[in-house]
Amino acid sequence: MPTLSTYEKAGIPSAFVIFPDQQECWKEAARVVGLPAARYVCESRTIPGHIDVERVIPELMDALTRPLTAEEKARGRWEMPDKRILFEGTLEEAEEFYQQEEIIPNLQNALHSLYTDGLPIVVPTEERVAAMLKGTSHKPNELIVYQEDHRVGDRIFQMGSSGKKGEPVRFMPMRRTATVEKIATIGVMAGCKPEFMPVLLAMAESGGGCGDGRGGSGYCISGPIAREIGMNFDVNLLGPGNRANKSMGRASDLMWRNLGGEIPSVNNCGVFGGPTGNCFPENAEALPPGWKGLNEECGFDKNQNVLVRMGASGGRSGSWMPGQYREFQKSGHSGIARRLGVKGIPGPHNILEYIRSFWVDGEGGFTFFMLPEIAMHMYEYGFKSKDAIYEYMYKRSFMPLKEYRLHSVPDVWTNAWKGIEPTSGKHWMELPEDYMVPACPSPMANCIIVMGAGEEQLPYTGGASRDAYSVDAWR
Amino acid sequence: MPAKEKTYKCLNPVGIQESVDLFPLAPRLDKNKLDGKTIYISVGAGGEQGLMIPLPRRLQALYPNINWKVTYAAPHRTIAGSIALTEEEMKTADALIRGVVW
Repeated sequence: MPTLSTYEKAGIPSAFVIFPDQQECWKEAARVVGLPAARYVCESRTIPGHIDVERVIPELMDALTRPLTAEEKARGRWEMPDKRILFEGTLEEAEEFYQQEEIIPNLQNALHSLYTDGLPIVVPTEERVAAMLKGTSHKPNELIVYQEDHRVGDRIFQMGSSGKKGEPVRFMPMRRTATVEKIATIGVMAGCKPEFMPVLLAMAESGGGCGDGRGGSGYCISGPIAREIGMNFDVNLLGPGNRANKSMGRASDLMWRNLGGEIPSVNNCGVFGGPTGNCFPENAEALPPGWKGLNEECGFDKNQNVLVRMGASGGRSGSWMPGQYREFQKSGHSGIARRLGVKGIPGPHNILEYIRSFWVDGEGGFTFFMLPEIAMHMYEYGFKSKDAIYEYMYKRSFMPLKEYRLHSVPDVWTNAWKGIEPTSGKHWMELPEDYMVPACPSPMANCIIVMGAGEEQLPYTGGASRDAYSVDAWR
Repeated sequence: MPAKEKTYKCLNPVGIQESVDLFPLAPRLDKNKLDGKTIYISVGAGGEQGLMIPLPRRLQALYPNINWKVTYAAPHRTIAGSIALTEEEMKTADALIRGVVW
């Protein structure tokens, strides 16, 4: 929308095709870029295009020719003043105030909380926020700006965050900014401790749970601070019970709601909602010999503390309980061993080969959340570095073009096959059907994070993020 | 008489929304003077092929005296992917249809 609005502002009448359920999101996005009356036409989600086009065309021509109304001709200014003190009263009154909800017609009149993630919060009194601010040397009125240069996503760049050192972070989808004090306020509300503040501020610098406006899917903390603040490294690290893991994850949801201004189906056209909700530590002490920690992979020293936001494509999991994975590695039993042709042969074996069809069909790179036990098996199998696994995954993702065409996402990544195939430099349409192309764009499109404890599970998610945000910069 | 319960000042977690200048729409085309106009149809990255394949064909058939120009955006999730008209195209464009935006 930021780019598309420039044509209308330059005097070129425009009409945009969207979907009926996205009208409120369209209006909000248009208002944020200063073009609240931008005209649109809705395509049906269900009627075939060659039929729907007969209805759409008169509406498009009308949008381009119908004379402007007084409202559409008007100039103006949209302002929303910021006030530091939001409420004054007793704690009981304050609890009620922050728990306010509003009806969202687009959500079938469901209620949506004005300031929270839907759950009760710790009331952010001035005194509590002041105590939270003792967890950082940064001043309360300091704007959240990039502490170093970052390569932010194109969509985030277009929405106003440059990623350049010293420039403000704009929280999606409403492109708002925030101060250190607002992060401390959210930290109090989420139930965080003051010593979590450097992590919360790095989280805010990374976009604060807002992703591209539809939310992220969690944060990995790499470096010694995770132990210093008492994070859970062991089993159940994504489950309930640990204040650091849970409250910092919750803070990211509160940032999405309050800093980004997120309201589903009003300014966020997501589907299930980004399951942020978790902050988890890498277990660098459990890395096999020679394997780099996530902080090192991101260009930091192993003793430096970083926060890395995970991708937002949802989680999947390989699970081989009870005992199948164990028996596969221990003695070459189970269907896993039979498929890989190692029946009766003790490990170490390469479990990634067993699930190859999952990650190749997933079309793209992956991040694996790897238990120390599996990491050690992979090391003993022969992968003496993470890079060796990334290279293996890339090479094993090659398939004939005729097979690649049967996948969904390439329609989009290849721009409906009108773009250039990267390994050959030729147009997609020129290549023979047996030409081998990679489903995974590059070795570094994959990532492994060694974490947790226990056995026989291997969750993974789409994409690989190595854009790390320094936690130490926010101490 | 009960002592008055203590009151607290509570802080605002809502982000700072900077002011936005609001612009008018561009003047529309005269529906009786469409002949000879150049209207771009910008097909968004990768799709929505169900509608965006028949749309240019039908517009050309229904309005043969309009100079329809079809362009295809660069890949999805890139800055180029959101560009509907180049600077050169903007010089000759009388109007723009872009779909699908999301």
